[in-house]
Amino acid sequence: MADNFGKGKTGNTEGSSGISRRKVLSSAVSATSVSLIPLVTTSCTTPIQPSGLVLSAEAQPLLEAFVDRLIPADENGPGALAAGAVFYINNSMADWNSQETDVLVEGLFALTRAARRRFDREFTLLSDSNKDALLRDMEDGQIDGFDNSAQIFSRLHRLTLEGMFSDPYYGGNQNYAGWDLIGYPGAVMASSPDMQRMGGRLPPLHTSAYGSDFDGE
Amino acid sequence: MANNLPEVDVVVVGLGGAGGVAVLPLARAGLNVLGLEAGTWMNPTQDYKADEVHNNVRALVTTGSKVGNEIPTVRNAPSETAVQQARHPMMNAVGGTTIHYHAQSWRLNPWDFQVRSATIERYGDGYLPEGSTVEDWPVSYAEMEPYYDHVEYEVGVSGVAGNIQGQINPEGNIFEGPRQRGYPMPPLRSCDFLDHMLEAGKETGFHPYRGPAAINSQPYDGRPGCVYHGYCDRGGCHVRAKNSTDVSTIPKALATGNLVVRDNANVRRIEVDNTGKVTGVTYSRDGEEFFQPARAVLLGCYTYENIRTLLLSRSSFYPNGLGNNRGQVGQHYFGHWDIQGGTLVTALFPFDINIWYGAIAQGVMVDDWADDNFDHSGLGFIGGASLHVYTEKHPIGAAGMGTFGKVERRWGSDWKAFIKENAGRTQTAYIQTNTFPYTHTWADLDPTVRDPYGDPVLRITNGPKRNEPMAAAHAADRMEEWFRKAGASDIVNTGGGRGPGLSTHAHGGTRMGTNPDTNVCDPWGFSFEAKNLGILGGSVMGTAGARNPTQTIQALAWRTAEHLVEAWDDITA
Repeated sequence: MADNFGKGKTGNTEGSSGISRRKVLSSAVSATSVSLIPLVTTSCTTPIQPSGLVLSAEAQPLLEAFVDRLIPADENGPGALAAGAVFYINNSMADWNSQETDVLVEGLFALTRAARRRFDREFTLLSDSNKDALLRDMEDGQIDGFDNSAQIFSRLHRLTLEGMFSDPYYGGNQNYAGWDLIGYPGAVMASSPDMQRMGGRLPPLHTSAYGSDFDGE
Repeated sequence: MANNLPEVDVVVVGLGGAGGVAVLPLARAGLNVLGLEAGTWMNPTQDYKADEVHNNVRALVTTGSKVGNEIPTVRNAPSETAVQQARHPMMNAVGGTTIHYHAQSWRLNPWDFQVRSATIERYGDGYLPEGSTVEDWPVSYAEMEPYYDHVEYEVGVSGVAGNIQGQINPEGNIFEGPRQRGYPMPPLRSCDFLDHMLEAGKETGFHPYRGPAAINSQPYDGRPGCVYHGYCDRGGCHVRAKNSTDVSTIPKALATGNLVVRDNANVRRIEVDNTGKVTGVTYSRDGEEFFQPARAVLLGCYTYENIRTLLLSRSSFYPNGLGNNRGQVGQHYFGHWDIQGGTLVTALFPFDINIWYGAIAQGVMVDDWADDNFDHSGLGFIGGASLHVYTEKHPIGAAGMGTFGKVERRWGSDWKAFIKENAGRTQTAYIQTNTFPYTHTWADLDPTVRDPYGDPVLRITNGPKRNEPMAAAHAADRMEEWFRKAGASDIVNTGGGRGPGLSTHAHGGTRMGTNPDTNVCDPWGFSFEAKNLGILGGSVMGTAGARNPTQTIQALAWRTAEHLVEAWDDITA
């Protein structure tokens, strides 16, 4: 099946349709080879382990654990991790969010320091209920020595939502998991009156603004 | 040293919603017109995407290099240090902000032009808001009618008339002033949710109608009708059905052969001679500076840049800025008290309303609680607000909805179940309040924050308002009634709100009036002091109606341009 972000986009120019592969490569200082570019297939039904692009090997698992608790996999479908929210966040940090990367990574490190202090282990190794307890304190600004925790939480929360519910072109919302969750049928170039009817959910269309192979048309 | 260019008849500074309309009557009259625009042409099929990240997260359509460098600072009192915000969605491009605006396109109602005298007549002197500098406009609705008509037909507006020559049609806005004829196109298509809200509005006892839009509801002027794909907000129209001036009036003006568009031109000063007469403008383009002489200049930037350009254009004749020898430039400024002011009424319905697609201008409006359309005796405020429900919802925004107190946090499995059920069941009404100028609210140059040229940015000082939040809260309660009648199970009503900081509906600052001691512009929109300088845009407006200002800005721009043609010898003498 078709690849998205980072592959099959070599014809794009910067600024005209999303992000060019060239720009991702040039921004990804931690990427040592092309194989580190996340390859995402829209037909994949199992979670894909994100590979490091901008985030370091230390920061990446923390972000994965964070998004996994914000939008967990459960009886209502895949969560943010399986939907590729971490891909999205990496990709955004490789481009338009690059200035934000350091402060967010510092925040993730502060989170795991708090986990060590309170539970004597890394954040990624906590039980779900202990992770959630710490995240609640982070959101409420109640972690000693982590003064901007509420701001960091708010930004990572926002980026997680973007990763879950944005066009899959950017690496998140894989298999349209986010759009299926909330009932957004898909990006279209035109809608019919029937697509504005009330009563019941609209059937999913599973369409990206960039076509089925995300080639930017 | 600036390069001197050959003289033209008229320079229009800024080819957005205002300048992009003014060029048409000028070019048709045979004048030699040069349009200087800080941005460049957009390409609808390449630049516009059905993508929330592109439009709303990254702001790739709206971001302009020039406007992003000159965002005003804001403070709430003279004792505070004003702070600059990161982003403001005004746009540098041929077509300007009409490219990504929502294209709700209305006339002001007759009361808006005579707030002062009508209030005194009906309620007495003491009923005007304390500290307000509101004056009657120097032009009445009846005098504006022909110009509104020109705009509706030349730009292209879809809608249903409520008052044709005194004949009231309850399908339209029964409160509107009389118009000579109907709209050139029927209103945008309706949908189940809007039909439902229309019926609920009638059952509530209101007079709902389908709002007018500068969007083609059917093929018009060689361009197609709207395709309702739902990415109008902060995005341009990929099929050119939204009638931004780059696809409507500017191409018509170019077709006369009398308009030249020069893009990427940053106008930095308007120049004058030693008698105070305008001689042309200085602009930067590709790192070079040019002096463009002109017989007359029409300044048609956004409100903030209109004010700033005048204040920066100092000379021995105008030591405090061009046309500012009476100190009125920047006075009577105000931002529109609308959703940016924090007046929010959000409803949750126990059924899917499916407003994903459509357009924000595809909506239903209620005017019963706006203007002076109801008796204000004993209420303690004047004016009111329009109520607007609409379509177009994007998925990230939908998932970021408020939770109506039903779940504790906006994350986790409980929240996920909540948005699964409810993301497609909510709507926030758009409430726009009549807004007035005050002595404690103005714009001047910031003492420290500068743009990359080293010029100060504008500084907004927003004093506290009492009238506007009362009027907004009164209307918000009526909105809540309307949502309840439509079957909403939960409603969050923020009341009157705290008022705008920066505004996408910025008004005043170069106000137009009859008194040169309290206004910058004469009744035709020309500077009282520099008579061959006309000013176009919301900066000339002395009141904000309970509705989007663009069509009024465009009608005024047409009128000012037409006056320049008719009074050419006198103005350029």
